[in-house]
Amino acid sequence: MDISSEAARYIAIGLAAGFGVIGPALGIGWIGRSAMEALGRNPEARGAIMTNMILSIAFAEAIAIYVLVICILLIFVG
Amino acid sequence: MARKIGCGCSLNLLIILGLVFLALAVSSFIGGTVGRMIVGGEPLSVFAVHPPQPELPAERPFPGLPITNTMIAAWITILVLVGLFVAATRKMKLVPGRLQNSVEFIYESLANFIEDSAGEKHGRWFFPICTTLFLFVIANAWIGLVPGFETIKLNGVPLLRNANTDINVPLMLAVVSVVAVEYWGFRARGPSYLKTFFNFGALGQGFKKLFTGKLKAGFGSIFNGIVGAFVGVLEILSHLIRIVSFTFRLFGNMIAGAILISVIILIIPWGVPSIFYGLEMLVGFVQALIFAGLTLAFGCVAVMAVEE
Repeated sequence: MDISSEAARYIAIGLAAGFGVIGPALGIGWIGRSAMEALGRNPEARGAIMTNMILSIAFAEAIAIYVLVICILLIFVG
Repeated sequence: MARKIGCGCSLNLLIILGLVFLALAVSSFIGGTVGRMIVGGEPLSVFAVHPPQPELPAERPFPGLPITNTMIAAWITILVLVGLFVAATRKMKLVPGRLQNSVEFIYESLANFIEDSAGEKHGRWFFPICTTLFLFVIANAWIGLVPGFETIKLNGVPLLRNANTDINVPLMLAVVSVVAVEYWGFRARGPSYLKTFFNFGALGQGFKKLFTGKLKAGFGSIFNGIVGAFVGVLEILSHLIRIVSFTFRLFGNMIAGAILISVIILIIPWGVPSIFYGLEMLVGFVQALIFAGLTLAFGCVAVMAVEE
């Protein structure tokens, strides 16, 4: 079974995007969960908790953005 | 008299507006490119949209001149920002008028955000660069949503384009941010800032202990010293990787937003893209906050004296 390079490219794009965003999605979910727990225990620290949560989510999301950039490069340049 | 709920409109008016919106969206979906592929036939000329062809590098609208469309957009951003702040700060009054009040609100929110994290002394160091990063990114992102960007074409190429979608702009901002963090580190701690990277203190103590006869403590300190030195080398790597991660975080978010808008316009040309413009405004704000906030966080880490 020969796979043409076009087909292989599209399969690669799909697999990369699909597997690549699992990690960041789980990470952001974990960060949100721990932020909710911390907020529930100590509603007064809302400012610090929310600031650090947004910061951590940005780090986790950056990984998903790397995957996105690779897929965009594969679609339009590769 | 109709009761007013939400946005100052009565319920009847809101229902009518909602139905009009729904009618526009559904009709443009069915008559548009995607709908016609399902139903069969050609898209109606009113709804026909070119498939998106995003170019990653910026294009030059004027043949021969090395000016790209993102450069023109960045100039517009600079003019808007400088104009806004100059207009607000001439003839400043103790009780501010509206424009001065809005600008003071922006200034004060950012100043409080920075000084809460960094303390007052370091906050004054960090404020110019972090605020400029924030304002430049958010102004680029929001001005890039104005209608006319990426649609007005000159010589087949869009005349204006969101400046953050050109990879040079996030790269420039990332380099500025990392160089500024190193500068703050040196300014706060002097040449001993290099101890974060070349951490041979524990190693030196280990050897000293060996020579003065305490063998077991000496070897323990040497082991800690080797681990410390390795961590120092990793710190160099991590600082360099920050350039890459800053660049791609901003570039990826902005280019994904631009592609998303063009794809949504392909699928449902009328009505629904306005919701996605709202999403893009939020993403622009969050990315600006992240850029400035991360620069601030790394700056705080850099100026913090190491506890022995």
